[in-house]
Amino acid sequence: MALISSILALRRDARIQKIPPYLSAFCIIVGIAWLLVLPLNEYSRKTYVSENALLPGQVHTYFTGSEHNVFRAYRHEVDALSGTSVEERTRRLAEIFRSQNLKVATQKYNYHVSNRTIANENVYAILQGPRADATEAIVLIGAWKNMADEVNTSGVALVLTLARYFKRWSLWSKDIIFLVSGDSTSGPQAWVDAYHDGHDERYVESLKIKSGALQGAVAVDYPAGPWGHRYDKLHVVYDGVNGQLPNLDLFNTAVQVAGGQMGVGAVIQRMWKHTDTYQERLTTMLRGMVSQGMGHATGPHSSFIPYHVDAITLVTVGDGWHDEMTLGRIIESLFRSLNNLLEHLHQSFFFYLLLQANRFVSIGTYLPSAMLIAVSFSITSIALWVKSGRPSEPTANFASTNPESKAASHPIPSPSTSESVEDDSTPAKPSESEEPPTAEETQKPADPPVLIHTPSGSLSLLPAPSLKITERHLLFPLLSVLLSHLLGLLPLYLFNTWPAPSLPPLYLTAANLTTLLPLAIAYFLVLEAPPTPQQTTLVQCFSLLLLGMCLAGLATLNFSLSFLVGVCTAPLNFVHKARSKGGNVAQLAGLMLVNPLVVVQVGTQLLGGRMEEVLVKAAEGWVVWGLWTQVVVWVVWFPAWVCGAVVVAVGVLE
Amino acid sequence: MLSFLPVLLLNALIACALGSSDYDEKLLLRPLPQDTLLASFNFRSNESAAAFEQQNFRFFPRSLGQILQHARAKELHLRFSVGRWDAENWGQRPWNGAREGGTGVELWAWVEADNEAESFAQWLTLTNALSGLFCASLNFIDATKTIRPVMSFSPEGDHSNSSNLHLLHGTLPHEVVCTENLTPFLKLLPCKGKAGISSLLDGHKLFDASFQTMAIDVRPVCEEGGASCSVEMEQTVDMVLDIARSKRPRDNPIPRPLPIEQIECDTSKGYNAHDTCYPLNKGTEPAWTLEEVFGRPLKGGCPLVDDVGDDANTVCINTPPERTLQVNTTEQYFETRLVYDTLRCYKLPTGADFDLVLPEQQMKTGLIRAEPPLFAARSINGHGQERGSTQAIIRNPSTTEAVEIVYLESLPWFMKPYLHTLRARIDTTPESPIKETYYRPAVDRQRGTHLELRLVIPPSSTLTLTYDFEKAILRYTEYPPDANRGFDVAPAVIRLLSPPPGDRKGIYVRTTSLLLPLPTPDFSMPYNVIILTSTVMALGFGNIFNLLVRRFVGVDEVPIGAGGLKGVLQGKLMRLKTVFGKT
Repeated sequence: MALISSILALRRDARIQKIPPYLSAFCIIVGIAWLLVLPLNEYSRKTYVSENALLPGQVHTYFTGSEHNVFRAYRHEVDALSGTSVEERTRRLAEIFRSQNLKVATQKYNYHVSNRTIANENVYAILQGPRADATEAIVLIGAWKNMADEVNTSGVALVLTLARYFKRWSLWSKDIIFLVSGDSTSGPQAWVDAYHDGHDERYVESLKIKSGALQGAVAVDYPAGPWGHRYDKLHVVYDGVNGQLPNLDLFNTAVQVAGGQMGVGAVIQRMWKHTDTYQERLTTMLRGMVSQGMGHATGPHSSFIPYHVDAITLVTVGDGWHDEMTLGRIIESLFRSLNNLLEHLHQSFFFYLLLQANRFVSIGTYLPSAMLIAVSFSITSIALWVKSGRPSEPTANFASTNPESKAASHPIPSPSTSESVEDDSTPAKPSESEEPPTAEETQKPADPPVLIHTPSGSLSLLPAPSLKITERHLLFPLLSVLLSHLLGLLPLYLFNTWPAPSLPPLYLTAANLTTLLPLAIAYFLVLEAPPTPQQTTLVQCFSLLLLGMCLAGLATLNFSLSFLVGVCTAPLNFVHKARSKGGNVAQLAGLMLVNPLVVVQVGTQLLGGRMEEVLVKAAEGWVVWGLWTQVVVWVVWFPAWVCGAVVVAVGVLE
Repeated sequence: MLSFLPVLLLNALIACALGSSDYDEKLLLRPLPQDTLLASFNFRSNESAAAFEQQNFRFFPRSLGQILQHARAKELHLRFSVGRWDAENWGQRPWNGAREGGTGVELWAWVEADNEAESFAQWLTLTNALSGLFCASLNFIDATKTIRPVMSFSPEGDHSNSSNLHLLHGTLPHEVVCTENLTPFLKLLPCKGKAGISSLLDGHKLFDASFQTMAIDVRPVCEEGGASCSVEMEQTVDMVLDIARSKRPRDNPIPRPLPIEQIECDTSKGYNAHDTCYPLNKGTEPAWTLEEVFGRPLKGGCPLVDDVGDDANTVCINTPPERTLQVNTTEQYFETRLVYDTLRCYKLPTGADFDLVLPEQQMKTGLIRAEPPLFAARSINGHGQERGSTQAIIRNPSTTEAVEIVYLESLPWFMKPYLHTLRARIDTTPESPIKETYYRPAVDRQRGTHLELRLVIPPSSTLTLTYDFEKAILRYTEYPPDANRGFDVAPAVIRLLSPPPGDRKGIYVRTTSLLLPLPTPDFSMPYNVIILTSTVMALGFGNIFNLLVRRFVGVDEVPIGAGGLKGVLQGKLMRLKTVFGKT
């Protein structure tokens, strides 16, 4: 009890108010530092296969010999199709599948995004497991074109050859679906949507034949031409749409089969050379985080993961001595492992950060980092809430024995009773609601500074301001925060519906407008109804409260996005309406630099991307893949920034 | 191009010889497209009703007969099935689907009882006894898996007093059918798999088949007027073998890539070279022998089969007449040609191995496969932990005849359909195809949903039947050990009412079973809970123990002595004094 009461007493301590900014800063610094120590051996773990049924690399692979001759022939066939129309390609691929006694079907899709049309056709064949009962299926994908828009000649040929080879085995306990999708992102999305009947029939054709519940999917990307290409390493791509990840067991199985059984090194996140130094681990992790944070589709596998179908893409990279048969045997071994599964992949982690192909950080270790950053906003917002309820003039610490403060608060007891306190406060209320509280509060030092309270005969001395009830006027702050969030819907709509060629000009305009927007709003406000300090404080408080909550929630879904947005919005913790004009101008200038649009553009340039492409892909993501990143940018990040910038801009213009 | 010969309904032809002898067995071999072979085994034994009542068994297996008498089951149908019938390639189902079951185990029986409760008790007796006899988990068919179909099944036998007969039906879609079920099945046969066509039944090949179903059907059969009755037991095995796969020797079953010399390449391709080969389908009928395909020789005929008349023709093969066929045996055999020579039947020699040898052959003629009367597929749509929807697509391929069907769904209680979302659409007409609905809703943990619909599908139309369902959350002890696999939902049974079937068996089509993923708790959670609870208990225990054991002394009760070392020593001395002072 004593502890609680002493803590309660501390509440009123003026010194307490000074702590939150430091606490926030501390949270942010620890949050970032936390991330930086993750690559160390003490905080990361070696990967391991958790599901006993998988038994990676425990089977002999027989995909050799005459299969190689067949593969070469199929590669010629596929290469001959690279210049033909979609219909001709579909017809020929279906013919090859049909000659292998598989059930074949096609699916057309036709999306309209940013006034352009994404139309193509998927071909898929179902190998019915000889003793399977159509309850489960695994998918082998060879997209016709890979992410770099090259024709996936050897990859598709490998899918055809493996289909012929797998058909001979009798051990399949699940159906195997061979999917040649029209492209690497929208095609698989159309297919998997239709498989789960979650498609819009106006754009995507329904599937004619189906199998059981999908248990896993593996995509092959091997764009070598008709004369082949020997590769060096296997690039395992695992990011799904919206930063969702496949079960770590699937990834581990692929890495273990490739490295342990076939001697092909696995690399991740385009780290072609990884010598296991701290810096390289950190780079790998950060690349993974950026990729996860953007939430875009990174390969044909990405669309499967939102449907809880674990999927990866195997991409061949470099010049080396491994050939297509090795890749075929890796896939054979991987499919044998998946075939062993008795249950849906569930044993291992779904949330992880990979540092290299065989080292990861689990969610329990990394999550505090993003959470600390999210908490920093909550701390600031609580502090601002407390501040908004206090008189703007600093009151003396009533428990203080400091003679200075006593002098400031005139320690002459003036006779007053408890009734008088109530009399004092009740008539004060209407006056407060009519005129701005600042005027009221500035008059306070003139009031009788100390009151005597006698509830049970004993006397207590209380400074008058501490008994003053400051009413918070919530309507204006709440409305303005709400409006700023609604404002975010406008660019969200425009960027996802405007035609592709006008997106870059739209972006430029938006970047300029948003930079001027806080000043314009502030100018309008100052001109029409100058906001009181309490109002600006509350606007900032609610905005940060919302931001903190959203980021904490987001951290459990997409850690990287939450962390990246958290770091970019961290300055909002520390901006406030400064007393000096210069301070305000400097703050506003700083905020202009962390304008979401500026950050996105600078980030794109740093990562070597092109803004037009990013905008078009983002719109495609919104319409086709169901991407949520834009919502976070426009409805969480952007409004928070606007609120912070307006508060400072008011300070500049006042 | 192949030219096709017309073929009569062979199933009807083969099975029409009814009740003429006490025991007969038949094997019908029919090569199917894609190098597959359908083998239909049929064993039938008769016992007169009087002998059956007196437990005077001759061909009827005593073990099964006594169970049936004890459970008062008058008619019994038991099915063990693996795989699925590929109707598009293989055509009509053997026995019109009347001798096959859904994936796993399916059992239905007419039980004699005075009321429903008694019939259910008899049913439990029956399932438990059969469970022991067939080494299957039939005892898991409890109230939640049992339904009483009203339209889907009708008795095949002649029942004199059908008023107090109760039909009960149960399925185990998750049951894996394997060798342990085959052995008791063979033991019921008079020749026990030692002679006759049953000597071909080998677990390795039977369960490597693309489709296989084992059926046991017991029914009373009476002659016209009910003069003499008998109990007939029919045992059926249908299997579709992949010839290439079955021919692989047992000691080397791995399908290694063939040497390149054995692959036929398309030399017309421009890129064809010594290392590049576009494989061609040979387009020939593969070579096979009975011994190669079944892994065992056919050890002559079963001596219990009558050796005169039609029943003596035990092995029949249904091929175009041009197909070369050689018989390999040391003893005498008889060949009969039926149906424009498309059916060749053999009377087996007793005591000597019998083999059919078919060489690889380029065919000029083929056989017309009977078109299946219906195509049916069923799947689960939607994703997520809470809801889903089921979609069944049933197609009537006939261009002239409408079909009338009964669609039976038996759903587990944890899959809760919303009947108001039931939609049946036909692509050619806006008219509702549902003529009659029988629905018995599920009761949690008591019984499952039972839905029967009578539907009419116009010619060359497709019926799409959908309904939404909700997934229940189970208690954590109700999950099986492989909880994350999902739960199997029994196949839907479709019975064709019109066109009317030729016999009393009916025409049936079954869909595949479904896998229903339910919300599954993280089963490592209980351990976390145990650890947390233990910590809380330990803390609570520590505090309470402390309060109970510690001696509380008031401040003024403590003697005001010197602190420090001196005080401690004084205290010790005082205690020693009191101890010694007392003694």
